[in-house]
Order: sequence, then C-alpha cells, then structure tokens
Amino acid sequence: MTFSEAKDFLLEKARELGVELELLGTETRELTLESFEGTISQMTQAAQSGVGLRVIVDGKTGYAYSEERSEEALSWALQEAKENAELQTSGGGALPLGQALGRQDLLGEGLSAPLEEKVERALALEAGLRQDARLKQVVMARYSERDVTVSLASTAGALGEYRDGLAMFGSSVVMQQGESLKQNWDVSFEKEFHSLEPGKTALEVTSKTGRLLGAKPMKTGRTTAYFEPKAFTQLLSVVLYMLSGKSVMEGKSRLTGKVGQRVGSDLVTLTDDPFLEGDLGCRPFDSEGTASSAVTLVENGILRSFLHNSETARVTGQANTGHAARGYRSTLDVGPSNLYLNTGEGVSPTRGVVVTDLMGLHAGADPISGDISLQALGLLVERGEVAHAVEDFTISGNLLEFLASIVGLGKTLEWHLYGGALGAPMVEIAEVSFAGA
Amino acid sequence: MPMLNPALVENVLGAARTGGADFAELYVERWKRRSLRVIDREVREARSGLEYGAGLRLFYGTDVLYAYTNDLGEAALVELARTLGQLKASSGQVDNVGKGGLDFRKAAATGLHAPEVAPSAHPKRFRLERLLEADAGARIAAAIAQVESSLVEWEQEVLVANTEAVWAEDTRTRTRLITRAIAQNETDTQTGYDAPGLSVGLELFDRYKPEAVGQRAAEQALTNLRAKRAPAGTMPVVIGNAFGGVIFHEALGHLLETTSVAKKASVLSDRLGEAVASSTVTYIDDGTVPHGWGSSEFDDEGAPSERTVLIDKGVLRSYLVDKLGGLKTGYRPTGSGRRQDYTFAPTSRMRNTFIAPGTTPKEDLFTGIEFGLYAKKMGGGQVSPGSGEYNFGVNEGYLIRNGQLAEPVRGAMLVGKGPESIKRIAAVSSDLETAPGMCGSLSGSIPTEVGQPHLLISEIVVGGEA
Repeated sequence: MTFSEAKDFLLEKARELGVELELLGTETRELTLESFEGTISQMTQAAQSGVGLRVIVDGKTGYAYSEERSEEALSWALQEAKENAELQTSGGGALPLGQALGRQDLLGEGLSAPLEEKVERALALEAGLRQDARLKQVVMARYSERDVTVSLASTAGALGEYRDGLAMFGSSVVMQQGESLKQNWDVSFEKEFHSLEPGKTALEVTSKTGRLLGAKPMKTGRTTAYFEPKAFTQLLSVVLYMLSGKSVMEGKSRLTGKVGQRVGSDLVTLTDDPFLEGDLGCRPFDSEGTASSAVTLVENGILRSFLHNSETARVTGQANTGHAARGYRSTLDVGPSNLYLNTGEGVSPTRGVVVTDLMGLHAGADPISGDISLQALGLLVERGEVAHAVEDFTISGNLLEFLASIVGLGKTLEWHLYGGALGAPMVEIAEVSFAGA
Repeated sequence: MPMLNPALVENVLGAARTGGADFAELYVERWKRRSLRVIDREVREARSGLEYGAGLRLFYGTDVLYAYTNDLGEAALVELARTLGQLKASSGQVDNVGKGGLDFRKAAATGLHAPEVAPSAHPKRFRLERLLEADAGARIAAAIAQVESSLVEWEQEVLVANTEAVWAEDTRTRTRLITRAIAQNETDTQTGYDAPGLSVGLELFDRYKPEAVGQRAAEQALTNLRAKRAPAGTMPVVIGNAFGGVIFHEALGHLLETTSVAKKASVLSDRLGEAVASSTVTYIDDGTVPHGWGSSEFDDEGAPSERTVLIDKGVLRSYLVDKLGGLKTGYRPTGSGRRQDYTFAPTSRMRNTFIAPGTTPKEDLFTGIEFGLYAKKMGGGQVSPGSGEYNFGVNEGYLIRNGQLAEPVRGAMLVGKGPESIKRIAAVSSDLETAPGMCGSLSGSIPTEVGQPHLLISEIVVGGEA
C-alpha cells in the first residue's frame, strides 16, 4: 500500500472502532558517499518509510508504528495502539482540531545534480583534508543528502504534507605534531547541494583541529571562558530540555513556574523561529498540524515561554506554541525549529580559555539538575593572544549559573544540528570552573 | 510471517553481482518492539512498533556499496539490487554476471538465548504491574520526588545470506527495565538510576525484582542529594565493578575495532603481540554468554558468535574483526560484525566485553590511598580512537581518605587517554560483574554488556569543582 492507501484504510478502520486516530508518515531518501584514499570506499542509497499511529480512546493515548504496509501489519498496529491507550488510567487527551494544511515543497531542486558531481565533491573534501601536512589520517570524508516527505492525517480533519531536505559534509580527522595527536569532527550543511564548498570546509576542519595540537595540560582553577558557537550550541541543547513543555509536564524542568522571572543575564534572548530564510529547521506546521510561528522564550534574561505541543499546553495550562515533534517511530514530544541565542556587540578574548569543543554531553550534562561536568578542548588566552592549546580538562558548574554569568556575545550567529537547528554566537562567561592537572 | 525464501534471495544476490561485485550480502529483519513508560504510577507512553526492512551490501575489493529499503517485494528488491549492482559498473568496472546457483549452508539459532516464555504470552497489564512494583520499591524516603520506569522489549528476527552461501537465521529477544528516581530538597535535584537488561523475555523480572531495582535507583538519588560536588584534580581512583567496565569499553574496546584499526586511526593499530596494558589486565569480548545483553548466536554478517581474548595479561592478542575489517587488515574475522538495524551496514563492534577477575581482595585496593575517588557506579562516556582521549561521568562516587571510604561526591567526570590509563591499572580484584548498555558508533546504537571487577587506577584526572 502507498501512504495514501494506508491512510484511507486506517482512518476508516479507526472510525469503525470508534477511536480517534492521527497518522504521521515519512518517506525518506538518503544518499551517502564516503571518500577514502581517493576513491569512494562506501556508498549508501536508502529509501525508508513508515507510518506512526496515535490513537485516543476515551481521552487515553496509545502509540504504534509499522514499516510494513500490508493490511495485516497495519491492523496489528491499530489494535496495539488501542490496547496501549487502554493502559492509561487518566484521560483528558484529544487530538487537536485538524484542518487542510496543503502540500509544500521546501526542498525543490536543492539536491538535483548528477551522481558524478556528488562523487566529485566527496573526493574533493578528502583531498582538501589531506592538504594539511599535519594530517595523520582521514577518519571520515562524507557527503550525504536527505530528502524527506512528511505527511499528516487525522480523524479530526488534519491533512497535509511537506517535503524538506539537506546536503551535508561530515569530516573527521586525526592530526599529529610531534607526540601530540588530536582527533576532531565537523559537519557542515546546506539546503542546496551546489552551496557546499569542499575546499573551504576542509580548510576549516584542518585549521580548527590543527590549532589544538601541542596542547599542554590545563591547570585547575576558575577563569573566564569564551565558548565558540559549536561548543555553546551543545550547551543550548541541554537548556532546550529545560525549556521543553514536556519536561515541565513531567516535573523535570528546573524552570517550571519561572515564567516572568530572571533565568539569565540581561544579554540572554532566546528565540525559536520556524521561518528563518533558508534555515534547516523550517517547517510550515508541526507534527500535530499546528501552524508554526516565532516564539520568544527568554527575553533579556526573563523567561517568557516554554515550547509546547497540544498535550503539554493542555496539561500545564499554557498556550500551544506549535512545537510538536514526532517521527513515525516515536511518541509525541516537543522540539525546536530554529532556536538561537541572539548576537551581541562582539567578544575579544583577553585572558582565559576559548572552549572550542565539548565532549561527553550525554554523560556529563544532567538536564534535570543542570549540573555539567564536561571534557573540553580549548585554547589558553593570555594578554589578548592565544598562548597554546590546552587538554585533559573538564569544565563544570550549573547551566543556569552559566546563563546568569554571560557577559559578552559575539556578532555572528553560527548554526549547528544538535537535536534541532541551534544557533549561537561566541559566548563569554565571566567565571567557569576548570579541572585539569 | 515467513522471512524471504531462498529462490528470491538467490535472485537478489545474483542481480546485485551483475556489475562485477566480489561479494553480495542480503540482511533482512522483522522486529517487534514494545515500550511502556510510567511516571509516578501513571502510564505516560505505551508504544508498539513493527520494523521491517532489508539491507543489501556489495564489496568491490574493499569498497562497499550499501542500500536499504522497506519494500521487500521481489520485484522491488531485484530492481534495487540491479540498480546498486550497476553503480560501480558505470564507473568502469568489468561486468561478470553473478554466479547464481547458490547452495546455501543453512544455519539456524539453537535457542541458546531464547526466552523461557514467549513475551506475547503475557498480557500488557502484567507489564504495567511490574513497573508499579518498581515505583513502590523506590518510595523509601520523603525526598523521592519522582519515579520513572520504562520497560523495553525487543523481538528481532534476522536473516543473513551472502554469495559465499552463508544463510543464517537468528532470533533475538531482549528485555530491559530502566528505573530513574529523582530526589529533591529545598535547593537541589538529583537523580539515581538502575537498568538491568538481558537477552530474555519477561523472566527478567525473576532475575531482577522490580522492587529492588526501584530501591537501588532511589538509594543512588538520595546519596547524590547529600553529596557535595566532586573535587577536581589528579588522583588515584578505584572503579566499581559491573558498569564500571564502561571505562575500558570506551578507552580500550573501541580502539580495538578494525573500523579504526584498518585506517590506522587507532593508537592501538599494528600492535599485536605487544604489551599495551599492565600485566594485571586480561580483556575479553564474548558474544556467547548465555542470555547476555550483547549476545546473539550469529553476528549481523551471519558468522557464528564467539569468545575473543583481546588482551592476555597485558599483551594484545586480537582485534575485533568484521568481514570488511578482515579483508582490509588480513586479521581473522571474530564474529564481531554488528549493526543497529537494516539501515546500517555492519562494522566491527563489541558484544559482552569485560576485564577478567584478578586476585587482589577488594578491600586491599583502598589501602594506602591517602586521598582518592571511589567511582562506585559509572555513567556513560565517549572516546576519540585517534587520540585515545576519553571521558565519562560518575553516577555514584565517594571520596577515599586514608584508605577508608568517606563522604559521597557528585558530578565527577573521569578524563584521560585510554592507552595511558590501562597501563596505570595497579590492581584488579576478583568480583567480576557485568551490566548492560547501549553503545553508539558507526553502525548505530547496539546492545552491549560491559564488565569488570573492582580495580585501582593509580592516577587519573577527575573533573569536578575547582
């Protein structure tokens, strides 16, 4: 069955059973080309699709999904979702009132190019990475692209679809200088294949990794930290957890009840904007079919709103901001479109550590308490100049303390993908605890 | 429902080789997954899923083409195979049509890890009742503010067939209970965690009583609530058994995967026969442990699983070798080709990996430490194989003062370089235990067990509060 046939089949069955049903389907095409030692050593072509079911029975919610679109498999999924719903004791759930959402194409001809051209770009990326004399090994030089069509339909009347996608380079290198070894990775992405520049990306990766060579141990102590955008967006991904209406609903956000209160320094303004020109997180509607709009989450340090879907909004008594996020395999969650920390008047490091990368985020950051203890890579700055790279150290503290201690912001916004499109400039934090030798 | 029949598989493999591939492999899986999540006795999410797909892999020398799809109709699969098979042909490869006529050597699982009772024999309500028991077990103090428990169940059927006439069918049933407790006082929120899992059905609850799992999570949360932030600095560290083994999973195991070794992107490349660890260290990766979380009868390339001694008394004896890694390095494959699901080509991965027991009594590890850290329960971590740099968090830690266990500390992070740390293992005790985890790498997220006895590392950087 096609998605459209599966949709008709399931909606009709749901009506027969007397249950509310929402269907989220995705069809994804992917291509990955990996260059190693001048040839395409690995190539992957993919077509993946599936349909996710959210069923509501007497206000109780259950989920199921299937990648097989036979009548038997779809009937199994619907029955499982219904039985899963019946396990809930308290009801009150409902599908949002749906509407015709139309069909939109956000990708267009963005990935249209012959395979040979894509192969050339992947090879050029690796060749570029090998230009640097300090390069020891290319661990990854990868071109990949994704073309996704998201479809939504419900017994409450939602019906729509949109197509989106991206092209990206993934690089990982090991570089060496004397005894010093450093491995680093980077991802760069565009909506248009032709906007990818292998030479430029390769130079950025090798210079960003190369500057970490010859690192010396970092002394334990407290000093000013200058987070580069890549490192700060990693921290933002944890802040995001605290700003999620789902965390609030489940009693897991330390920001619960703090709307209108100060949660960061005056410089902190966090915005989520689904319509930023050409950005990756853009979407016409969220995964429940709620129309998207821009939301200010934190304004000059004051908490203004959480991110909500229809369920978290209902349970917490706040407004739905249109941030439902769900893949066909997953359950309803909350997610950003393009979430960013605003820029400022510029930062010029004088004394302290420029933090270039953070590692071990899933282990070293507790999104509930906000406590972090993370391995970092960086550069020691003295008298306004980089003295040398530093290694074998962690930064620690609490994220909310970090937000309160932001004293400077860079002028340029940079985007990274960490569970959504997250943007930040360079961020100066007055005093951070460093643990090293 | 039946998996694919041999005639169809033969057609697909034949079509895949029309472009001159040296080797073709078809991986098919049908996977039922269920999860149930309860917070404070209320069902938050109940989900069931059916994943069904195929992955087709071709080798040209050591170059790899991979494709995957959910469309397992014969026409679609043959078409996909033909398209994939022609990709290299169009770049100048010789066409030497696939051999066909494969006489598959059929191998099926013997049931070594099979569940005692099929999971489907239990009603959904039975599962919920066990999660409610875990919740009850965690309510040991007024400070326990929230308890969340999840049950994850997998029933995965796998078929791997290739042009070397391999035909292997495996069924993998895994069940895991995850309980997280949150403890709260006026100023602070801390969490505790316990998450047993095995290749079994719901008899997991016979081996691990849900009440006890809940209680362990709650005790850890309460300990962290009264803990002060860990001090920062370099010090001796005693690492606890069971999940403590995650340190060497990250800092040593990943460095032995041919994925990194073949590219000379591991600091342990080309070092077979050399002393790479202190002589107290024997490190084993064993996919045959009955009902082990990371066990299976065949790997995801259809090779029988095996027990591989990686390091024997400090000397490097073997790498973790998948088929492609074997072609690239010349090392014998060790049944280590694994993947998350059909969307990933397999790579060399760990199964159940542990440090063998030593002879030092556990108490003696602490003797003589003036000031150090006891990392009783480890959290997750990561490593860069190229530099060996690793980090991981400590979920439950205590200071050691004058050879004695002292007050609890939280937020400690252990940081270092794997090859240096394994040389600093000063003593290993005899209380080997293992624990389950999910390991993320190139071929996705897979179930692996880590393990070790208590052991002492003479010096390690502890990240904490300066």
